[in-house]
Amino acid sequence: MENLLYIGKDIPRTAEIDKVTGRAVYIDEYKRPGMLYGKILYSQYAHARIKSINTEKAKRLPGVRAVITGYDIPDVRVGFLGDQAVLKRDVVRQFRDEVAAVAATSPEIAQEALKLIEVEYEPLPAIFDPIEAMKPDAPLVHESDARGRPLRSNILPLPWKFSAGDVEKARQESAHIVTDSVTTTWINQCCMGTSGCVAEFDSNNNLTYCGQTNVIFGAKQRIATYLKNIGLKGKKIRVFNPVVGGSFGTKLDTDIYEFICIQLALKTRKPVKIRFTREEEFAVLPPRQAARFTVEQGCDKNGLLTFRKVEAILDNGAYTSWGATTPSVMMLPISSMYRVPNVSFQATCVYTNNIYSQAMRGYGNPQAAFAVETSMDHLAEKAGIDPAEFRLINRNHPGDVTPMGLKITTCPLEQCITTVKEKIKWDEKRGKRNGRGVGMASLIHVAGGARVYLSDGTGIRIKVNEDGEVDVLSGSTDQGQGSPTVIAQIIAEATGFRPEDVNIVFGDTALGLWDAGTHASRHTFVAGNAAVRAGEMVKRQILEMAVQYIPKLLKRSLKQQKKKNPDFVEPVLDYTMVDSPEKLDLKNRMIFPKDAPDHPYFRTEVGKILTSGLHVGVGESKAVVAEVFWDPPTEMLNAEMKGNYSCTYAFGTAGVEVEVDRQTGEVKILKLVSAHDVGRAINPALVRGQIYGAAYMGVGFGLTERVQLVDGKVVNANFRDYKILTANDVVPVEAVIIEDPDAAGPYGAKGIGEPGLVPTAPAIANAIYDAVGVWIKDLPITPEKVLAALKAKGD
Amino acid sequence: MKGYEYHKPQTIKEAIGLMEGLENAKYIAGGTDVMVLVKQGKLAPANLVSLRNVGELLYLDLQNGVKMGARVTHTAIANNEFVRKRYSALPDGAGVVGSRQIRNVATIGGNICNAAPSADTACPLLVLDAKVVIVGKSGERQVPVDDFFLGPNKVALEKSELVTGFIIPAFGDNTGSAYIKHARRLAMDLPVLGIAARATIKVGGSEARCKDAFGAADDASGIIECLEAEGLVFEDVRIAMSVVAPRPMRAKKAEEAVRSKAISEKLLEEIGEIAASESQPRDSIRGEAWYRREMVKVLTKRALLRSIERVIRPDSTAFPNRLW
Ligand SMILES: Cc1cc2nc3c(=O)[nH]c(=O)nc-3n(C[C@H](O)[C@H](O)[C@H](O)COP(=O)(O)OP(=O)(O)OC[C@H]3O[C@@H](n4cnc5c(N)ncnc54)[C@H](O)[C@@H]3O)c2cc1C
Repeated sequence: MENLLYIGKDIPRTAEIDKVTGRAVYIDEYKRPGMLYGKILYSQYAHARIKSINTEKAKRLPGVRAVITGYDIPDVRVGFLGDQAVLKRDVVRQFRDEVAAVAATSPEIAQEALKLIEVEYEPLPAIFDPIEAMKPDAPLVHESDARGRPLRSNILPLPWKFSAGDVEKARQESAHIVTDSVTTTWINQCCMGTSGCVAEFDSNNNLTYCGQTNVIFGAKQRIATYLKNIGLKGKKIRVFNPVVGGSFGTKLDTDIYEFICIQLALKTRKPVKIRFTREEEFAVLPPRQAARFTVEQGCDKNGLLTFRKVEAILDNGAYTSWGATTPSVMMLPISSMYRVPNVSFQATCVYTNNIYSQAMRGYGNPQAAFAVETSMDHLAEKAGIDPAEFRLINRNHPGDVTPMGLKITTCPLEQCITTVKEKIKWDEKRGKRNGRGVGMASLIHVAGGARVYLSDGTGIRIKVNEDGEVDVLSGSTDQGQGSPTVIAQIIAEATGFRPEDVNIVFGDTALGLWDAGTHASRHTFVAGNAAVRAGEMVKRQILEMAVQYIPKLLKRSLKQQKKKNPDFVEPVLDYTMVDSPEKLDLKNRMIFPKDAPDHPYFRTEVGKILTSGLHVGVGESKAVVAEVFWDPPTEMLNAEMKGNYSCTYAFGTAGVEVEVDRQTGEVKILKLVSAHDVGRAINPALVRGQIYGAAYMGVGFGLTERVQLVDGKVVNANFRDYKILTANDVVPVEAVIIEDPDAAGPYGAKGIGEPGLVPTAPAIANAIYDAVGVWIKDLPITPEKVLAALKAKGD
Repeated sequence: MKGYEYHKPQTIKEAIGLMEGLENAKYIAGGTDVMVLVKQGKLAPANLVSLRNVGELLYLDLQNGVKMGARVTHTAIANNEFVRKRYSALPDGAGVVGSRQIRNVATIGGNICNAAPSADTACPLLVLDAKVVIVGKSGERQVPVDDFFLGPNKVALEKSELVTGFIIPAFGDNTGSAYIKHARRLAMDLPVLGIAARATIKVGGSEARCKDAFGAADDASGIIECLEAEGLVFEDVRIAMSVVAPRPMRAKKAEEAVRSKAISEKLLEEIGEIAASESQPRDSIRGEAWYRREMVKVLTKRALLRSIERVIRPDSTAFPNRLW
């Protein structure tokens, strides 16, 4: 690619200085005049009938402005399957069920008021095991569906079913077959900033909503539907973000507390803020979807994969959010990780009285990749092939169309695997079984948009001010991933300005064009593509103005010089060098003829042209502005779960070296190498940051993290007992960037937000097996599990 | 959270006097236990009597044993070179409490008076035969730390009584000690269990050869074999365990079983077994009972070996992990 000034450079994240110096306005700091504070009362039971609720005492507490229950607001259902009310009436189905809410002049008073609300329950039989819940005589979590039709089973009407080729025939023809059971559990996203929002109505009942959503238009739509259903049709809604302290999936769906906040604002006619405590964040916010898999795979005598069959059971919890849709992403590794011609996959979502789940970084991919990639090692062993070699034999290739219909464009998987092999010293360290071992796993993920809704589009607006300041309005959001820096680099490169000239406003439905959401590792790709296109339009406009104004400005200046100095000899200039925009270029704020970039007369600072274009005196003035709405050529999955739902796919491989303490079962990671195909790294430092962070999350997923539920109740709702790794637990991570620019990406870039997490846990499990010969396929891999397995094996 | 009054006495006497006169009052030192409980609503004191300004509680006297004030912070203990060398178990424990920020304000007095079954300095003080110095309105008394713990968060203090400090006897340089905190991560974690040991030993043969064994052997068996060959005898032993009972406890039967015995692989196995049989672990969200019992066996052995190493190789700071 032509020489680039800003792409590929470690531009520092200057936009973030406010965050580390405490100036940034997160939801915690966001305040409105007269604002009240909302708090929510949750259920005391996993399943119970509400016999009575008495809010009288709470209402009388000084400072309390409103107390509402399900009986005080319209009985309107919300959520992806419309299976829950905002405040629950009659029955609670999980411990996090919202029973009442208070708005008061301080959070402390609101909290105090909650204690004064008296709720009488009559416990009902509850069910916590999805397998049990599937049995015909299991107690029903829901007696009827959203439309009031009676339900007979806890199984959700979400038939996730995929089939390609002939699995039965392939099984018969396979030389080696393995079957494994794999379990993954609930994981909290652990955003640094806890959840919260501020809702405020004006006198016409138009809503201004400050929320943390990373899908601002989706949230606006859901809120609009809710308002319509409670009788506020056609009200204007503006959704915008404060500074957001992380998302990792938690800001994809509109959570129940957000509707409650809207109700409290409506009732009190005041701005109302709800902000979760850390305990609420753990106990109430939907975590990563827990899943159980049965995975069966076969290969022929040469080690070529013949088939893969996966069945998944998802503990849906009591209601439905995006967790139930994770099979659409589980599909990626199941259908398309390595070449496998015959595939079948089925996922069953089951209601239980546990908490329900939503998205988390990687969506269903980490769970499914854990199943597929540990099974790969198992099968490799059965076939007598080195697991790295086994992966290389079966690797994906550019130009492949996978059974799911994914069209693989660039694919440096071979390089990812060999790089990891080399860096982890695979050949030297593998197969010792001496307490130390190495393991690897790979991934495929969407990296070029993801058509999960009918639109996969995004819009961007660029206006250039007279002083050469570039204002950008993006319909996407910034939840801390570094987009203000990366998108500024792209815009600077495309327009010819510098990154520090670019000022981006994200996350405001009143300012941005439509965007499908800053999720699915799609932002740099889609917003970047829109930015390149809009940036080129801006540049073109400026160069057109330059054709007009360079000669004018120059002639005027020469004339003045002549006037001052009668001896001045006018240079002979070839004005045809600047007589068309094609002959000019703009870089680093300077306009110049392509043929003579250092031309002493024609080289012009962009500000002069912009000013000239505006301040024309008599005639038509011109402001530079461009707008692009870009929807990538991606396909929505069809009824068979097939379709090329991203423009391009990212590959990557993680390699891990572990040491296992055979007497305590403790696992220590000695080295973690994570090599990722990013197309092109727009900002290598930020790419590595994404890889480090995701790899750490993957280590937590693999070894320490779990939301512990006892009979439906979260019992470790704090950072003491939820074992996210600390800074002291540093794992030496080497992030390797593999570049193979993809024609579809902005300057060749692919998405890298999620991939780093995906292969980490299976690589750890595989390394443990190499070290001590036990498979732990139930996450997290705790010392207890390792020690129990070692003892069972007779060590 | 209801409000409370905050009192700042300057002397022990004043503190006790305040405590005598106030209703629903609580001492507060670093506040890292008290304030957590207050915020959680589990404690609602009307009065907090701060020990922050009581200078008499802040001393560390290392002549002839250790005399240490209740307000000494974990950081001060963990960073003291002499304590690290001669009373190693204590800084082993103090150095792994919470995080650096916590250790800078949290005190040893608070850790012991809070009496959590998981308190990280409890086992070290138990194996170091520490005494608790208590002052009340009727004067001073000294209680062995083993008699001080009564149960979870229960200690042998009467109303208004204050712990002013701790006394640890002097040990000869044939004594070493160690504490192992078994936790899921390296900071901000409570132990799944903790084990401390102290060993006073005598080597019949060559100490130099023992030293070489510690430096060179690549597993524990190799070291134990050498120690056995050089006639290492346990003259006196202490073992203490945390989290495996309602209060931090000594494994007295195990201690008895090793006293005056020559080291051997078999003996170390036995001690672990006995200690495990003395423990009464329970299943909890932080760990399963069977696992805790297993770890008592493994870590008792390791803590003893580490104690021996500290006698034989006092200058080596890092205990090699490859031993296991
Ligand atoms: C984030 C965090 C992590 C932690 N991690 C650990 C850990 O890893 N290991 C561990 O053992 N502990 C841990 N703790 C608990 C706590 O930090 C320790 O127990 C600490 O030593 C308590 O000391 P303090 O001075 O803060 O006690 P305070 O909170 O001030 O007091 C604790 C109790 O002792 C009483 N008290 C204090 N001083 C005296 C005195 N001189 N006489 C009589 N009574 C007194 C108080 O009334 C109170 O009941 C952690 C706490 C936090 C908040």
